[in-house]
Amino acid sequence: MTVGADALATRPAARETIRIPVTGMTCAACQARVQRTLQREPGVQDASVNLMMHTAAVTYDPRSVSPDRLVEAIRETGYGASLAPPERSAFAEQEARDRAQAEELRELRVKAGASLALGVVAMVLSMPLMMAYAHVGMGTRTDPLLHRLTEWMDGALGGVLPWLYTVEPGLLAAGLMVITAFVMGWAGRHFYTRAWSAFRHHSADMNTLIAIGTGAAFIYSVVATVAPGFFLARGIAPDVYYEAVVIIIALILTGNLLEARAKTRTSSALRALVDLRPSTARVARDGVEADVPVESVIRGDAILVRPGERIPVDGEIISGESAVDESMLTGESMPVDKRPGDAVIGGTINRSGAFRYRATTLGADSVLARIVKLMRDAQGSRAPIQRLADRISGIFVPVVISIAIATFAIWFVAADTAPAVRAMTASVAVLIIACPCAMGLAVPTAVMVATGRGAALGILIKGGEALQRAGDIDTVVLDKTGTVTEGRPAVTDVVLASTGVLSGSDGEIELLRLAASIETSSEHPLAEAIVRRATEDGLVLGIPDAFVSSTGRGAAGRVGRLLVVVGNQRMMAEREIDVGPLAGAAARLAAEGKTPVYVAMDGGRDGSAKGPALSGLIAVADPVKATAREAIDRLRRLGLRVVMLTGDDERTAAAVARQAGIDTVVAGVLPEGKVEEIRRLQGEGRVVAMVGDGINDAPALAQADVGMAIGTGAEIAAEAGDVVLMRGDPRSAAQAIRLSRQTMRTTKQSLFWAFVYNVVGIPIAAGALYPHFGLLLSPVIASAAMALSSVSVVTNSLRLRRAAVS
Amino acid sequence: MSGVDWLVVVAGIAAIAWVNWYFFVAGNDRRR
Repeated sequence: MTVGADALATRPAARETIRIPVTGMTCAACQARVQRTLQREPGVQDASVNLMMHTAAVTYDPRSVSPDRLVEAIRETGYGASLAPPERSAFAEQEARDRAQAEELRELRVKAGASLALGVVAMVLSMPLMMAYAHVGMGTRTDPLLHRLTEWMDGALGGVLPWLYTVEPGLLAAGLMVITAFVMGWAGRHFYTRAWSAFRHHSADMNTLIAIGTGAAFIYSVVATVAPGFFLARGIAPDVYYEAVVIIIALILTGNLLEARAKTRTSSALRALVDLRPSTARVARDGVEADVPVESVIRGDAILVRPGERIPVDGEIISGESAVDESMLTGESMPVDKRPGDAVIGGTINRSGAFRYRATTLGADSVLARIVKLMRDAQGSRAPIQRLADRISGIFVPVVISIAIATFAIWFVAADTAPAVRAMTASVAVLIIACPCAMGLAVPTAVMVATGRGAALGILIKGGEALQRAGDIDTVVLDKTGTVTEGRPAVTDVVLASTGVLSGSDGEIELLRLAASIETSSEHPLAEAIVRRATEDGLVLGIPDAFVSSTGRGAAGRVGRLLVVVGNQRMMAEREIDVGPLAGAAARLAAEGKTPVYVAMDGGRDGSAKGPALSGLIAVADPVKATAREAIDRLRRLGLRVVMLTGDDERTAAAVARQAGIDTVVAGVLPEGKVEEIRRLQGEGRVVAMVGDGINDAPALAQADVGMAIGTGAEIAAEAGDVVLMRGDPRSAAQAIRLSRQTMRTTKQSLFWAFVYNVVGIPIAAGALYPHFGLLLSPVIASAAMALSSVSVVTNSLRLRRAAVS
Repeated sequence: MSGVDWLVVVAGIAAIAWVNWYFFVAGNDRRR
């Protein structure tokens, strides 16, 4: 029993993570409120709510709280939530979100349209009412814009509907009251329910402002309708503001509609990726070919693809050749030649020939599904700059309510005529013009559009944080192999040492055969080049025994009874093998940008006990990528310092750097040395991006401020790196940095203007311009300004779709 | 300033104080 109790006591808390779709959130305050509510739930360890993706990611202890309770907690805040089926793929989730978005758009369209129509009716009906009390006190409409509009409408209406002016004012007011109550209760209902549930949770958001603003105007109007005598006795016109309430609601709904439409466009890149997935595949089973739904394809199925068709799932070509257009995934515009043994990616288009291939990865593991998931997670992630917006919107609404109350009191005391009316309209205008949404939308919309734009260019940015950091980079470190060079080195020369045991052309072949036999067990690109050349030359390779690989140096082992050591100068030095006899040849080859790989072996072919001695060297060259020079130029034009890191010796590195136009080179660096070098640069206060392949350079990519994994097509699965350059083109690094800088500029612009809008708009609504210019803003104009401010933020972010980054 | 004006000013100050207490102080207490 004691043991069991102890075990229970020391058992770590269980953790589970769930994603809950949330509906109805419109601004940063809504998102913050749902997040706070979830974080307060007992058993919840972490909760992160995303406004753009409409999801809550909750990490919780299943022993303390259930997923149903979490959904219930969200619903109690006034927002919609339901549990997503657990087996849902990234595709299904995106489709479900699209459906929900379409439904929301449809509802907003109906409500905004009907409210606008009723707003016009309300305005027409209120005209005779305004004129009826125009002789009492002074005109209360001091907004010049609205003043002109009412004058014009009054003139026009008197001509078209003269009978309207004969209707009893009380009756007109009662009619307006009914229309307004209907619009508030139907189209604007969610503003009030959400404001109330926020209030109960000691929170306030955009809905609070709208609810208080329109609610105050409505209550004032009801009092004026029911007891006009109370106002008339004090020399105040019993003006009603029903039409203002209806039009405010209509304009805000119209703003929400335009915003929702623009938001739909921000995720169009993701949707385009989801649409790449074909629905059927032509599968050959038991000698019969048939079109089957892509979901029923199983691993190992042979699939036939004809020219012009989309490749249904990932796989490997068995027979046939073709050129495949992978531009939709990698951004590479040229079709890629494919032969038997080559990998093809589901979603890409077969251009020229027909081929048969074997299905390999399916469903959630497929390249396309992984890209969709990566992008969805990235688009839903938060950039650090968002925290500033969150902090402001967290205190924004209560502060605005306070300003509105102060505005009311000041107007009531200071106004020379109709103080109550002035006070009411000014404070309602303050509540309505204030817009926390604009601040809340600036960052997530920009992140969403930029990640989508990146994907279209073959650049996968794994989140808002990476996007923001990439904008601050001042130093780019490029790994040589695979980044600056093709990463597919080839053997160019074989040189024998005059002091070695091998000689003549047969000796060269034997040197290559022995070296390749050792290198079959190594995964280094140089080793692969040697093995490839030996295989192409038809050499029969031996099986190495006692194989030892030394990272960044080389490998050694026995082929038969012969000890063979293959590696760089460092490897030879460690084994006290003199490379002097080939120093001249090595220097010459290195100056040509070729990497010398030394080969040493036991002094005698009979396996005598003598230690290994230098027998020759194999020169391997990795051609510089055609786009490398242009990429370096672009990086430099962005004001970045470019450094190349390589394990090669200095001469080879310098030759490659010269060809690529790089002037800072750090050569002879071991893989762990790359991390050190990046750390050193960071120590100098530099913000470093490392561009390298996602596997060999993973530690360096992780150490860098931004790790950019470079690969092509199917290799993009690389987990390492904050950014994946799918095209394998170093120019993408410059594009990624440029895109990131532009995104941050757009974000800062939006935040700045949203802030300025509120800082300027609120005092104007409060009547700051009245003492000097006699100008007051009507709540109707305030609502139009408010709607416009959020729409303009989303539109500003959408500009990133066309930003010049090349 | 009339009596009504004074009443509105005092009520306004009280309302601002309450709003700030309700959303910042009471809200935070509940969140803790």
